[in-house]
Amino acid sequence: MISHLVCALSLVVFYTLQNAVFSQTTLISGTADVILLLLAAWSLQPQFKNVWLWTIIAGGLISLTSAMPYFAPLIGYLGVVSISKLLQVRIWRVPIFAMFIVTFFGTIYQHMIYILSLQISGASIPWRVSLDQVVLPSLLLNLIFALPVYAIVSELVGRIYPLEVET
Amino acid sequence: MKFLNSKNIQTIVIFIVVSGFLFLALSGYLTPVFNLSLNPLISLQRWLSVRYLSARDFLTTPSDVVQLREQNTVLESQVTQLQTQLIELEERLGEAQVCFALLDFGRTNPQYEYIAATVIGREISPFLQYIIIDKGTEDGIRYGMPIVTQQGLVGRVDAVIASASRVKLITDSTSVVNIRLQSAEIEAQLLGSLTGDLTLDMIPLDEIVEPGDVVLTSGLGGNYPPNIFVGQVLSTQRRENALFQTASVQPIVDFESINAVLVIDNFESIDISPLIPEP
Repeated sequence: MISHLVCALSLVVFYTLQNAVFSQTTLISGTADVILLLLAAWSLQPQFKNVWLWTIIAGGLISLTSAMPYFAPLIGYLGVVSISKLLQVRIWRVPIFAMFIVTFFGTIYQHMIYILSLQISGASIPWRVSLDQVVLPSLLLNLIFALPVYAIVSELVGRIYPLEVET
Repeated sequence: MKFLNSKNIQTIVIFIVVSGFLFLALSGYLTPVFNLSLNPLISLQRWLSVRYLSARDFLTTPSDVVQLREQNTVLESQVTQLQTQLIELEERLGEAQVCFALLDFGRTNPQYEYIAATVIGREISPFLQYIIIDKGTEDGIRYGMPIVTQQGLVGRVDAVIASASRVKLITDSTSVVNIRLQSAEIEAQLLGSLTGDLTLDMIPLDEIVEPGDVVLTSGLGGNYPPNIFVGQVLSTQRRENALFQTASVQPIVDFESINAVLVIDNFESIDISPLIPEP
């Protein structure tokens, strides 16, 4: 119960920060996506069991408020968590490194989904300009913010689960 | 001869000696002697005075330092309070300046009714150019309402909930605004882009468009009211075999730093999409 409460609160805080701060802080035309980083960090915590549920909740929330078509944010976030789970099982034992790898591939995957969905809906989104002006700057920002977000989430998860074991 | 006894002679001698000393002293002959005798005394007095004053300072200064430190603490706290007040006042001044500017726009365009709103966020996806404002259906905002600032056109309402609205900016890659060039009376279309740059399209090749030409909304299509300032032409481009020429436009509104906007309340936008035949 406590874990759900903390997840809901952290999602609200990150959503507010994303809308009010990070979306307005641009590097060229790219912005950081702290919701993606939050989900990636959650999915890399072995104790955290409800990552799919919270990915669907976060993706649904963003899809409803965003102007992106076809629930593209939900598909993007589900893909990010899938990448995280896939790599977590198969490859490594160093979580910080895992966070950077998931951020890297997750950001690229998410932006590909965005570009494709916008192109299908009729918007003029050239690939070359998208890569130069949006994808690469966003990737850099996400990699910069990956470490602090991972530290916050690790601290939160570390505090939540001992409490639940005791109760 | 009793007068010249030994006692009187002694008195007279003393008187003469004293008078002589006084005479010599007053006439300055004894100054070197006084100096020689007083200088050590003055030196001693100075030495003693300096030591005394030092000792007094030593004994009295600590209380002054404590007092000064207390005063310093009080003054520092006052400075902090004043700095906080200054920041608050600067923020209020900024808000007031924005409000005055919006009010000026309202006065110069009295044919419209406005609802003022504050920008509270931006679209999460960096591929889209949308802002979120703090007014919704509860405040009378409806889909399609045009959004302006004191400078010019911003966009139109794209989605509304009870207490907030999402606004599509004219710089969005899916945005199309029908405009006219004030100087040449040419009508064209203003297109947004992924990077937020604005381009004029559908300008006939035989028309002359100069940098600096003013771009205004034409009102065609029914999405925006006419004669709202959009920007100025930066440069024109002609391509071989192209049917129309294009032009880059510098928007008058700084879309990166919009804090407050005006929603035009009494403009009914017309949705003509059902009339457009599907391919």
